[in-house]
Parts: sequence; structure tokens; C-alpha cells
Amino acid sequence: MASYRLNIMICAGTGCVSNRAFQIREAFDKEIRKNSLEKEVLTVMTGCNGFCAAGPIVIVQPEGIFYQKLTVKDIPFLVEEHFLKGRPVKKFMYTPPKETEPIPKMNDISFFQKQVLIALRNKGIIDPEAIDDYIARDGYAALSKILSKMKPQDVIAEIKKSGLRGRGGGGFPTGLKWELARKAEGEQKYVICNADEGDPGAFMDRSIVEADPHTILEGMTIGAYAIGASKGFVYVRSEYPLAVERMHNAIAQSKEYGLLGDNILESGFNFDVDVIQGAGVFVCGEETSMIASIEGKIGEPKPRPPYPVEKGLWGSPTNINNVETWANVPAIILRGSDWFSKIGTKTSKGTKVFSVAGKIKDAGLVEVPMGLTLGEIIYDVAGGIHSDKKFKAVLIGGPSGGCLPADCLGLPVDYESLTKAGAMMGSGGLVVADEDNCMVEMARYFLNFTKDESCGKCTPCREGNAAMLDILTRITQGEGTMEDLDLLEDLAHAIKDTALCGLGNTAPNPVLTTLRYFRDEYIAHIKDKKCPAHECRQLNTYTIDEERCVSEGHGCDVCRRNCAYDAIMGEKGKAHRINQDKCAKCGVCYEVCKFAAVKVD
Amino acid sequence: MVKLTIDGKKVEVEEGTTILQAAEKLEIPIPTLCYHPLLEPYAACRVCMVELKGETCKLVPSCNTKVAEGMEIETKSERAVKARKLNLELIMARAPAAEKVQELAKEMGIEKTRFEIIDPDEKCILCGLCVRTCEEIVGANAISFANRGKDRMVFTPYGEPSEACIGCTACAFFCPTEAITFEDIHKRLVVHEEMELGPSTAVRVPIRQAVPMVPFIDEDSCIHFKTGECKICERVCEKEAINHEMEDEEIEVEVGSIILASGFKSFDASRIPAYGYGRYENVITALEFEKLVNASGPTSGKILMTNGNEPQAVGIVHCVGSRDKKYNEYCSRVCCMYSLKFAHLLKEKTNAEVYDFYIDMRCFGKGYEEFYHRLMKEGTNFIRGRVSEVTDMPLTEKEEGKLIIRVEDTLLGEIRRIPVDMVILATGLEPGIDQNEIAKVFNISCSQDSFFLERHPKLAPVSTFSDGIFLAGACQSPKDIPDTVAQAGAAASQALALADKGTFELEPITAVINEELCAGCQLCVSLCPFTAINYNAEKGISEINDALCKGCGTCVSACPSGASQQKHFRDEQIFAEIEGIFIE
Ligand SMILES: Cc1cc2nc3c(=O)[nH]c(=O)nc-3n(C[C@H](O)[C@H](O)[C@H](O)COP(=O)(O)O)c2cc1C
Ligand code: SF4
Ligand code: SF4
Ligand code: FES
Repeated sequence: MASYRLNIMICAGTGCVSNRAFQIREAFDKEIRKNSLEKEVLTVMTGCNGFCAAGPIVIVQPEGIFYQKLTVKDIPFLVEEHFLKGRPVKKFMYTPPKETEPIPKMNDISFFQKQVLIALRNKGIIDPEAIDDYIARDGYAALSKILSKMKPQDVIAEIKKSGLRGRGGGGFPTGLKWELARKAEGEQKYVICNADEGDPGAFMDRSIVEADPHTILEGMTIGAYAIGASKGFVYVRSEYPLAVERMHNAIAQSKEYGLLGDNILESGFNFDVDVIQGAGVFVCGEETSMIASIEGKIGEPKPRPPYPVEKGLWGSPTNINNVETWANVPAIILRGSDWFSKIGTKTSKGTKVFSVAGKIKDAGLVEVPMGLTLGEIIYDVAGGIHSDKKFKAVLIGGPSGGCLPADCLGLPVDYESLTKAGAMMGSGGLVVADEDNCMVEMARYFLNFTKDESCGKCTPCREGNAAMLDILTRITQGEGTMEDLDLLEDLAHAIKDTALCGLGNTAPNPVLTTLRYFRDEYIAHIKDKKCPAHECRQLNTYTIDEERCVSEGHGCDVCRRNCAYDAIMGEKGKAHRINQDKCAKCGVCYEVCKFAAVKVD
Repeated sequence: MVKLTIDGKKVEVEEGTTILQAAEKLEIPIPTLCYHPLLEPYAACRVCMVELKGETCKLVPSCNTKVAEGMEIETKSERAVKARKLNLELIMARAPAAEKVQELAKEMGIEKTRFEIIDPDEKCILCGLCVRTCEEIVGANAISFANRGKDRMVFTPYGEPSEACIGCTACAFFCPTEAITFEDIHKRLVVHEEMELGPSTAVRVPIRQAVPMVPFIDEDSCIHFKTGECKICERVCEKEAINHEMEDEEIEVEVGSIILASGFKSFDASRIPAYGYGRYENVITALEFEKLVNASGPTSGKILMTNGNEPQAVGIVHCVGSRDKKYNEYCSRVCCMYSLKFAHLLKEKTNAEVYDFYIDMRCFGKGYEEFYHRLMKEGTNFIRGRVSEVTDMPLTEKEEGKLIIRVEDTLLGEIRRIPVDMVILATGLEPGIDQNEIAKVFNISCSQDSFFLERHPKLAPVSTFSDGIFLAGACQSPKDIPDTVAQAGAAASQALALADKGTFELEPITAVINEELCAGCQLCVSLCPFTAINYNAEKGISEINDALCKGCGTCVSACPSGASQQKHFRDEQIFAEIEGIFIE
């Protein structure tokens, strides 16, 4: 790193790659060669930067100049101006909305200001495929520290003291889990890194593995030392080929450096890690299913107890932690539990990575301290609602999380507050809905996902979720009754109460929270047969404001041509009208009319 | 021991007990569907949920939750009952045809389900008992679940008949809803086969009249002998009488005498193709009929055809495999009388017309002839003549759908065709399957018909040529029960007489081998009819067992080197005697 004057860190997260990050690198390399800068400037593909909305992102180190939304065309100019002449190019920098002056440095951008990076501390800074980069950022110092100075019990005590809790959804205290695994009887013990990440749209874990695979290996090795395990598995879904590749690469490198394998750092401690590829089944993220899947059996949950720490992989004590949990471990060991436990709230320490999506301006990946309010994340970090529409709800915790209304924007993000409000931390999915989103439809959408992913083992989840989905579908089609609503609520409670695994236990959350906070929307669908957000099209009535059609649109006829059901009468230059008997409520006319002459009710 | 409270009642149980088992002890009923005491808890149906009181008051599956000290359980709390009912209602919608679910619903007060029924004939409730049985008990892993969520179903690999299936039907046995059926490939409602009735319980008493009345494990049906798993019997037998680790062993018993009673085998009727045994399912053998009329038989003693109906007409064919040069020339002695018994039973138990085809009626015993006369009065049709064929090819409308017995009626002097519904073949008696091996082991002889040969037909009918070996029953010749019992008594008393005497007089004039002369050619060993000669490999010579040698002299005359000599009749002695005669 040190031998180059400039390091060009190009984000290779999913968002930026689809915005042609690799072509941009090629363009950079070409220009650098053209200008004979090979010895001075190095391009590096990094893990996800997080500010996906601004992609493709390039950061020029060591100054930390942040360039956004680059295209291949821009590169020659950028290279000449900045790299040759030393003049950072303002027009490629980020300018906050409603302002004129761009912000040159990444850390000054509001998206990053409230973030605290622990799990993602190396994202965008190091080359994930270079172990030396990681070591240069104090990588493996924590491992060396514990192997030389700490007994396993001390490591566990330190993690316990830090207050670290599982980031995979349950929020179980990590130190306590390690302690249980240490105390469990068994010759052979295992550790597993859960990188299955089945939540639709979530990419926190993937980003950590892709940006900084060594921190996970280091965390797992520390954990293995603490509990007395000699074998570890990283369970990654096969839809993440880059993560799989980087993990393999990292394992090979650290073995070469004597940081993994037999007699690590001459300490006599042995630990080996394998990568297992999952087949993209949501329920395989659940720990007992994951164990079954690694054993080569059908990936479906088993009743707990016995917990994996007592009887896990092949009957041996097994400690499973989430990617983000593992990533926190080296930082805690190195900087101390006191430092860590100062961040966050009383019961929830440290930070949490969220992937923010939906109707939000600056969608992307953020790592914020626990205790930040939902409002702060949505407005201060992620830039607020897209197109400045009205906020309606935020679904936190993935498909099995809860929909919280505007009243909850002041809610601090910690395990207990979220659970109390009917949502959950989950693995960190945050989907923002605005006034155009129907809450019944939202619940239906997520339930459709969980219903499809139910393994089908236990009755309430298999049959109950499908039954709830039936009811929700009926309601969105205007065929629901008030009895349906009671049955829906009873079902939701029964499923939550009786399902065998976490998937079923949490699947009703979107239904329960929307019933709790947005009951009026349900009632509007049932009693008035109307969808207040106009999202349930079957309940809409489309009409044409004939006056406006003629005065504004001069009878442009676009709607008639686009209607697949021949439901629009009229001819060019004249007022158009919709035949309600023929109208299939597809809403195309509403979308194509540029003159807002089509009304929806 | 752990103390807990269920529905306000205190109970103390052993550690590791589940809530369900503890409740059972208190006689508090909790519904279950996927639970089976012989299988690991699966906890999937969720109808056994109970409320666990305390700080984090929650519902737990009672079948899988272990008790803990001070636990407080409510089985009838509103929350638990409501959740249980809803889950059952959901199961009702999935499997409306499952009777067990309907019963449970009635008990719980659910009239009908509010959820959509997709298949009104569905019975499977996805409790997984079948899959788990096949995995945990049978160890065959022939079936599993396929698909996720609502599409889940029990399936074989690729939906093909599973190669791993051993046909034990344990899955169907464990299925609580009769969702699994198995097909008898013979499509018979009534199975007549005398020996194996296909899948039957592997532990059973042979028949109810068996002596001693002790169950045995049938290796052909027992799952453990196929997959090495199961051993359920070991787990459930409270007396711990079953031990699968036990192995066959050879034991040596020293005895003074031996009674052979190795019995007979029944003539295999399929050897006479014209009678259609094996081709027509209602052509059965005498033993099969015995099983059918037995009160503990497959039909509880009812005489039925394979379609489950009572026959209208039955033919009994005598001398099947007996008195026939092609098979056995001898008369099997018992068939006439048991055939008459059958005819009597048929008359008694059915309204069928009975035809009895005989060559001669051999009613030789006490009261037998009288029984024959009684039968004639009862209305049995006796037709004299050997049956030539049983066929299902009708010539007239009357014969349609019947079995036709073709016979030459030697009294009327004409060929007759008799249509019947069932044919009973009076199969004869043959020497046992291992008759020859037994003969070899005990070095006894067989007569021309392969039955064991007695020492003398009139004077020593239960002895053999080997002292101390006696015969009883049908291994010696076909005989009926009274004759067998009489012969067995005689054999036993002869054996007892020997035992009582305690000593045994040896034949004084036996052979003896001159060690010096014997070249070890072993010719004598193979010739000795009493297996009295052994070859001593160490010395390289043959040796005579004095206890077995009868002094027959075979070896003496055969020995090429003259090593074998008869005591008191050595060559020198005889020559000396001859010389003496001439000196006079
Ligand atoms: C349906 C379901 C899906 C899950 N998916 C994931 C996942 O994708 N990643 C993950 O880390 N944990 C997942 N979990 C949570 C795991 O079961 C487990 O609690 C977690 O990996 C423990 O790690 P932690 O203590 O570090 O959070 C899932 C749980 C359930 C019930
Ligand atoms: S809750 Fe759903 S996913 Fe979990 S075991 Fe039951 S059916 Fe399977
Ligand atoms: S077939 Fe029977 S035993 Fe198997 S899952 Fe279905 S109901 Fe249960
Ligand atoms: S009997 Fe307990 S869950 Fe099925």
C-alpha cells in the first residue's frame, strides 16, 4: 500500500458492479498506463462502500476524496485532472440535495457522519483479497494477543463484558453462548459462521464477507480458541459466488501465513475452516436446519432444546454465530470490552449494520450505533423519503419483522425496544414505505415470501401462513369480511405461539404490526372496498376527467392505445371515457396519461 | 426426581421425563398426533401445546419439552386450547379424510374447519411418523419428505417405487390416519397359503395350538434381520426376554439313545399341473384348508373363497400324489379319513354341495367305516374315479365362472364334468426334506420309498439297525395320529428300558484291526454299514469303535492287507480249526 502515491479504491459491491464498476476500473487502468502512472497509482476493487445510491463509487486514498456516479467517459478527464495535475474534480463529487457546494471527503458526507464502523471498519479501505492489507490495519493482532496472553476463559469473559449480542436475529449474548459451548461435554467441538443471509434484499453479511473476509476468519479462530473447537465452517449461500471465492482465498492466505491450520502462531492451537455452500433456502439460515444441511440431511429445523451448543453438528457441541457477530470479535479483543460497551444502549451494545431499502433517497448499507432512532437512520443517514413523499411505515427485521408507523420514528434501535413495538432487530433489513404503499399489501407481500420459504414441517407455519395469505389476498381483492379479520388475528397469534422454529414464530409479525398500527387500512379494504394507497388495484375505480383530457391532453389517445382490454372509448382530439364493465383495473391508463387526466379512486 | 405442577396438581417424575409423560401419570389427557412413544419426538403437529407459566409465559409442545423443577403447566389455559384448536382446524383442512383427526376434532369441540379444503380425500397429516419409522426403526430410509411448505408430501426418491423399501409395511402400521395402504400383489382378500402369509407380525406364536405356547421371531418377516435396525421388541418387552445379540450355537449333548421323529413333508400339489394348483386361486391343499377352517386362521374359521364369498360347491380330490406310479406308489393312509372330515366340516359350516372323488375308500381304523357311512347319510356326493383334470374352461352356461372337475366315474362308467367353486386337494405324505441327510448323520437305512427303514417290519418296528436309535411317526412311514402316538410310546419305552438298565451289552464278536498290517487305505471306513470305523490320521491307520461294531465282517472280507480280523474268528483260528478237523 505504502509504495504507491495514490490508491484508487473502486467499490465492487453489487450496486456499483451493476453500475459498471469493473469497466470503470479497466478505464482507470488504461488511462494510468497511458499517463505512465503505473508506479504511482494503484487501483483496488473493494467490498461494498454502503452508499449504494451514489454508485459507482470511487475513493482516492490517502486523501479520501469521494467520487460518485462515475461513467467510463469521465475517467480520462478525472485521471488527468486529479492524478496528474493534483486537482480533485468537483463535478464528480457528492453534493447534498438543496445545496450547491460539493463535499470532497467521504467522512464529511451526512450519510457517513452518524455511522460508526466496527464490523465494516475495513470496507472500502483494504483490498479484500490481500491479507497484507488486512494485517496493515491491525488484522490478526487480536488473534496474536489472545494466543500469547489470554486463557480461553479470559476471552469469554472479555466478550461477555463487552455485551456483544448475536447479530443474526435472536440477539443472544455471544459470550454466554461461548461459555455454554465451552462447558458442554464433547471431544470434538465446532464453530460455524452463518453467512446464509436469506432475507430478500439484505446484503449486510455478504458485504462484510466480500469486503473483509479475514476479520471473520480471525473472529472465528478467536471463538474456536475460547470454546475449544478445532474445526469451523462458513456456510455461505451459493448465490454469493464472490463471497465464496474471497473466503476460499482468505483461508488459503491465512494458512500460508500460519494464521490458520495446525499450530497457529506457534501456540500449539489448531483450527481449520471449510466453506460450505448452501442452496439458498431461507430456513437453512436457522441454526438447526443449517446443521442438518451441513450434515447432508434435509435442511429443516429440529425442536430445541437440545440447543446446538449442547448437541449440534454430528451430535457435538457447536457454536453458531452470524457473520457480523464474528466481525465484531477481533475489534473487541483488540480495543477492549470497555471501549465497545460504551457504544450503544444499556442492553444493546455496539453497532448494527442495516441495509436500507425501499422508498428512501440514499439506499444502501449503514453501520450505526445501537440506540440511534429510526428517524435518525431514515432521515439523517439515508437522506429521507424518496421524491419527498410522506413517510408511512418502516419494516424492520426483514420479512419476519414488523411494520412500524411514523409514531415510532423516535424509537431507539435496540433489541428490546424493537421487540416491544412488535418488530425485531432481525438481521438488519430496513424497508421504508411511503404514502403510496398499502399496508395490507405489504403484509401480504412479505407473508408470501415466508409462506414460500416455510419448510413445511410444522402445522402452524405450513398451513397457517398459507391460510393467512388466503385471507390477506381476499382482503386486498375486496372480498374480506370482518370475521376474516378476527380469524387472521387469531391465526397470527397461534402461529407465533406454536410454530416450531423462528421462521414460523416471526412470520406473522408483519400481519400483527400492520393490524396493530394500520387497522383502519384493513377496515377500509373490507368495509369500503377501497385501498387508501390505491395499491390494490382491484379496489380502484379509474375514470377520466374528460375536461382535462381535452384541455390538457388534447385527447392524445395514448390511454386507449395502451388499454389491453379495449375498455377506453374515444378518438384522437376528443374526450376519452372508460367503460367500467370492461375495465380490468390494470392501471395502465393511469400510468401512461401524461396530463393527469386519469383519476383513480 | 423433579417436582412440577400440572393443572394445579403436583407430580414428581424422573429427570428427563417430558411434560406429556408427566401429564399421563396424572391422567391428564393431552391430544397428540405426531408423537409416538417408540420414536424420537418430532414436535411438528403442534396440537400438544400447553402453557408454561412463569416469567416468560409461553406455549411449549408437551411431547418434546422436558420437565424442570418447579415448572407450572396449564394444559387447559385459554391460550393453549385456542392455539391447539386452530392447529387442528388447519390439519382438518389439509386432511379431511383422516378419521383420527375427525375424532380428535370432535373431542375438542370443533365441528368443521373454517379453512379451505383442497383435496377432500386427503388423509396424510404430514406427521412424519412413516418417514421417521422408516429411518429410525427400520433403517431403510426408503421414504422421505419432498417439497417445501404447503406442497410438502411423503415421497419415495423420484416418485418411483423405492429400491430401499424392504416391504415391511411398518410405515403403514405407524401411520395414524391410514394414509398409507399397501397392495397385496396377489389381490386376494383371503390368503390361503399355508406357510407364509406375506407380511405378518415377525414375533408370534406359530399357531394357537402350538406346544409350547412361546412366541418366536420369524427371520423372514423381522426387520432386524433385514436392516440390522429396529429391535423394538427388545425395547417393549418388560421381561427383557428378547436378546437380538444371541447367536446360533452348536451344542453337544451326550445321550444313551435317540428317538428320530423327523416327520414328513406334504406332497407339492403343483407337481400335478392338471389339477391347477397355483394357477387357480381357489384350488387349495388340504393343509391350507385346515388353516382356513381353524378358528385362529385368517378367516377366523369361516370357509371362504379368495373373493371373500362362501363356496356353493366344493370338490375334494383324494390320492393327490399317492397311489400313483408317477409320484408315489404307496398309499398315504391319512388322506381318505381327513377328506371325510373336511366333507363333514363343509356340510356343517356351509351350505355347499360337497363332491368327494376317491379311488377306494380306505377306512381302516376304529370307527372309521362308521364315519364314512354317516357322511353318506349327510349327503356328500361320493364319486369313484381318479380326477383327470381341473379346469376353468366352461362348456355350458352352468359351468361359467366355475372350476370344472373332470373325472371318469367308474361306477357309472362315464366321463363326468362337475362344476365347483373350490377344490381341495388331498395331498399325500412324503419323506421329510432332509430325510437323506438325517439318515446319513445317524447311519440308518431308508426303504425304497425313502422313509426310514425299521429293523424288522413285524418284530422290531420302532428300532433301527443301530442300537439305541429308534423311530417314531411319519418319518418311518405315513401314519395317522393314533398310530404315531402308539409308535412314539413304544419308542420311548424302549429308550427308557435302555436307560433303566444303565448298561449295554456289546456284541462280543467284533472286528479288530492289526495296527502293524493296516496300510491306512481306508477302504473299510467307507464300507462299514455302522460307521464303526474311523481313520486315525496321526497313526495313519483305521480304528474300530467297539461300541458300534456289529461284527458283520464286511471289513474283514474287504481288507486287502488282511489287517482287519474278526475276534474269535481270525484266519489263523479258522485255519487251525480246519486243520484240527482233519487231524481227527
Ligand atoms: C428462519 C430463520 C432464518 C435465519 N437466517 C439467518 C441468516 O440468514 N443469518 C444468520 O446469521 N442467522 C439467521 N438466523 C438466526 C440463526 O438461527 C442463529 O440464531 C444465528 O445464526 C446465531 O448467531 P448469532 O448469535 O451470532 O446471532 C435465522 C433464523 C431463522 C429462524
Ligand atoms: S416454523 Fe416453518 S420453517 Fe420452522 S419448522 Fe415449522 S414449518 Fe418449518
Ligand atoms: S402418511 Fe401417515 S404417517 Fe406418514 S406423514 Fe402422512 S399421516 Fe403421517
Ligand atoms: S404431538 Fe407434540 S407436536 Fe405433535
